[in-house]
Amino acid sequence: MRGKRIIGLTALLVGTALLASGCSAGGNDGDGKTIKIAYQKSGNFVQLDDHFKEVKKTFEKANPGVKVQLVTIAAQNDDYYTKLALMNRSASTAPDVMYEDTFKVKSDAAAGYLLPLDKYTKTWGDWDKFFDNAKAAGLGEDGKTYGIPMGTDTRALWYNKEIFAKAGLTVPWKPKTWDDVLDAAKAIKAKVPDVTPLNVYSGKTGGEASTMQGFEMLLYGTPNGSLNDEKTGKWKVGSKGFEDSLQFIKDLYVGGYGPTPQEALDPNFGTSVSAELLPQGKLGIDLDGSWLSGTWLESGTNPWPEWNDVMGQAAMPTQNGQKPGEVSMSGGWTLAVGKNSKNPQAAFDFIADALDKDGSKNYDIAASQIAVRSDVADDKEYADSNPSFAFFSSIVANTHFRPATTDYSRISNEITVAMEAVMTGQQSPKEAAAAYDEALVGIVGKDKTVKG
Amino acid sequence: MGMTSPSRRSLKTVSNTVLVLIAVCFALPLAWLVLASFDPSATLSIKAPSSFTLDNFAKVLTPEISFIPLLNSLLLSGGCAIVTVVVAILAAYPLSRYRLRINKPFLYGILFGTCLPITAMMVPVYSLFATLNLIDSVGGTIFFLAASSLPMAIWMAKNFMDSVPISLEEAAWTDGATMLSTLTRIVVPLMRPGIAVVAIFVFIQAWGNFFVPFVLLLSPEKQPAAVSIFNFFGEHGSVAYGQLAAFSLVYSVPVIALYVLVSRGLGGGNALAGGIKG
Amino acid sequence: MVAIAETPARRFGGEPGGLPPETPKQRARRRSQIATRRSIARSIPLLPAIVLLSVFLLGPVISSFYGSFTNMSLTGAAAQGSTFIGFENYAKLFGDRDFPKSVLLTLIFVFASAVVGQNVLGLGLALLMRSANKLVRSLVGTFVVAAWVLPEIVAAFSAYAFFSSKGTLNTILGSVGITGENWLYDFPMLSVILANIWRGAAFSMLVYSAAVQEVPQEITESAEVDGAGGFKRLIYITLPVIRRSISTNLMLTTLQTLSVFTLIYVMTGGGPGTNSSTLPILAYQEAFKFSQLGFGTAIATIMLLVGAVFSIIYIRALRPEVD
Repeated sequence: MRGKRIIGLTALLVGTALLASGCSAGGNDGDGKTIKIAYQKSGNFVQLDDHFKEVKKTFEKANPGVKVQLVTIAAQNDDYYTKLALMNRSASTAPDVMYEDTFKVKSDAAAGYLLPLDKYTKTWGDWDKFFDNAKAAGLGEDGKTYGIPMGTDTRALWYNKEIFAKAGLTVPWKPKTWDDVLDAAKAIKAKVPDVTPLNVYSGKTGGEASTMQGFEMLLYGTPNGSLNDEKTGKWKVGSKGFEDSLQFIKDLYVGGYGPTPQEALDPNFGTSVSAELLPQGKLGIDLDGSWLSGTWLESGTNPWPEWNDVMGQAAMPTQNGQKPGEVSMSGGWTLAVGKNSKNPQAAFDFIADALDKDGSKNYDIAASQIAVRSDVADDKEYADSNPSFAFFSSIVANTHFRPATTDYSRISNEITVAMEAVMTGQQSPKEAAAAYDEALVGIVGKDKTVKG
Repeated sequence: MGMTSPSRRSLKTVSNTVLVLIAVCFALPLAWLVLASFDPSATLSIKAPSSFTLDNFAKVLTPEISFIPLLNSLLLSGGCAIVTVVVAILAAYPLSRYRLRINKPFLYGILFGTCLPITAMMVPVYSLFATLNLIDSVGGTIFFLAASSLPMAIWMAKNFMDSVPISLEEAAWTDGATMLSTLTRIVVPLMRPGIAVVAIFVFIQAWGNFFVPFVLLLSPEKQPAAVSIFNFFGEHGSVAYGQLAAFSLVYSVPVIALYVLVSRGLGGGNALAGGIKG
Repeated sequence: MVAIAETPARRFGGEPGGLPPETPKQRARRRSQIATRRSIARSIPLLPAIVLLSVFLLGPVISSFYGSFTNMSLTGAAAQGSTFIGFENYAKLFGDRDFPKSVLLTLIFVFASAVVGQNVLGLGLALLMRSANKLVRSLVGTFVVAAWVLPEIVAAFSAYAFFSSKGTLNTILGSVGITGENWLYDFPMLSVILANIWRGAAFSMLVYSAAVQEVPQEITESAEVDGAGGFKRLIYITLPVIRRSISTNLMLTTLQTLSVFTLIYVMTGGGPGTNSSTLPILAYQEAFKFSQLGFGTAIATIMLLVGAVFSIIYIRALRPEVD
């Protein structure tokens, strides 16, 4: 009968299609003979892919019987985190090894996506070559190690030597306090009028860049300044350092020594700084990261051959020059193992192979990363590969890592809100700090806060 | 259109002028796109290229960056269009020809289906696909794209079908023809322009869809161009604008060409809207 | 024995001959049995659509809706197993200081760019193109449609490059001596509204082009003979005749504009502050940036409700035929 035939045909079509598509689905290997490595790859960020392709060769040779499947994800930050989280939630797609941002380690560990690695690092000879603060960045909230650091980044003051010469400022520049930094900006404003004297990322649109390159570089340079208490983990409210940092932002923006709020709040401002303002000599000083030179290399998105002649670097000073005198923040990426990996030993061995001395060194050089291993930091080839590496490595000793807990992104958002209120003159630092405290309590609850 | 009186002629001139102005306004934002694609050091600011170069296109027109993703886009969008059109026409037939009790609730239901926030639903969709072992399956993605295009497609197909007179089928029915045969032999041939319209509309929507293939596909070699376009976004917010612009042109031209072809073949863009007029 | 389903002609009645006479009750019952079987048979072509929609969409929609009552999250402890928290997400949403503003901005955005902008421009283009020459018609058609078929991220960057303070618009204004404003910073909503009109006008233009063609020439010509000017003809003849198209198009453009995200995000990032944070931007922040899926889905549900309200308004006001 025709009606039944239609049903039958449709069901057959749908069924066949589903079956066929099921067969063509990416082969899922559940017997531990294949390990899946998930990581970022984009047109300009191919270094990790190149690195892993090399490691795959040596690893498979050394471990016959285990195959390596490289799964690249072409996406930027939030999309990448989302895709990785989705993959981790389903056993059939969860990777064995993943490229994990230090920013996400604590929350992903709490989510049950990552495997604690302490029992493997204990027997790994290379582990004590890693810097302690880098190791700390890979810890979960429970203190266990979840991520092995690949490289890190640090932040400092990039300054234009030609503009400094015009402003009559001495080069090499070594500011000792916040006032020294602002004084330099004032001098540039007076003597070189068409140039923006100093940029410190600020405002809501800047997102984490405002918080980390901007605010935290200031806050962690105040006496005992930090977002939370290192020992108890409780978040600080009513902090003087917080208010002072906001005051610096106000002095900079409202005083007219920085970009206009319109410029700073443009969602594409960051690219503007690295691609236009600095190469074109329109910005005097930029509080930014160690990766900046990567943009200007031949292989970068905006090649600038003279960058090393024009740009110099100076460490960001602490507020009053108090010990240790300089401050930096670090982020960076790690390699982590999936919680339900069928072959965690192979997964860790892959990581150990990827991040042995040569692996770590070659990757850091290629990707403009700052070394996290002492033997790499001391290596001549590493130091020679990028003129700014020696400088940025030297400040790793005094760098801080963010308290990147599960709540951190919402707290960071509140920080940018406070910065924006102050830079546009809508609130005073005191008011903005109070508003932040209130929002903080709303996010973590009063019992997780402490006066600081 | 009648006699050419003086007022008709001046109306024509005014219309032409206004239209050309509007066309220019629509073309202006595209100026950046074209200029940046020939600029070796393109940024987001509009500027004449310091030197005219075809480098961006050369870098972009490789199998890995352009050809394979474009092929994947074709596969996904084409597959989606075919499945959607077939299913939509089948569904539109009873909705258009019979007064069933299910009609009204079904039509209202799918109307709301057109404004479903698919991005907000991707987590349960991912779980569903993982359970069915359809992650990284091109077929599965095609079916999902089709399902999410169905509401709009059924709506449009029904409207096209409504304008096909039922008298021909009634004659066939009194001669003992079945539902399926009247559908395939009478209605579908008369609806051909409408079918083309639905197909192309669904195709264009699927061509630009980033999120669904991004979430449901794993292997980079299966990703369509809408996803691979994000290869031009580097770390820390750096973007290779020149290559991005060149790629965008390469990416958009096939779809625009398809539209022009189909609308030319259907006798102008007016036919395109016939199915949406409700 | 021919099955009832195969002969739709049966619906015109007619009984097979040669059977014993029936009572009225029996006949009524048999008629309704036949009618039911017929309805089921006729609904069969709907089956593939129903299967696809229920498998792929219905389940996730229900699951997401349920998710809005939990603290579901992609990361953090809540990702291990979400807990049911009732209306907490919704309560938090309504108490959120950014929410009322976001709703207002969304309503403004939808009204200005879809209801007014795209529809008026689309109708205007359709009317003007009637009396334009073929070359101009193709030119306009190509550029207007090009803006529509560009991938959203590319359209967003182009619009950004157009409106930015050193962008195309200000460069052109500068060449005639006008200093342009900082559109994206001082007039974010205006910029994104104009960009969305640019992007979506093609759809309305196509719809109205066909609709306007359906207006019978005899009526317009007789009105003209009676002395009705162009404008009067538009208001009293053309518009009422295309009433159904207007309401359908309003509905479709409204619903599509409600979910616009990338365009606004690239142009202004939702800023400055929250001055252009419509509901989709808010949902993206909560759902993806902060990984609070339950909360994000609650926002999406509210968006769906807003869409539903708009649809009901259009249907009631303009009464398009759904049958």
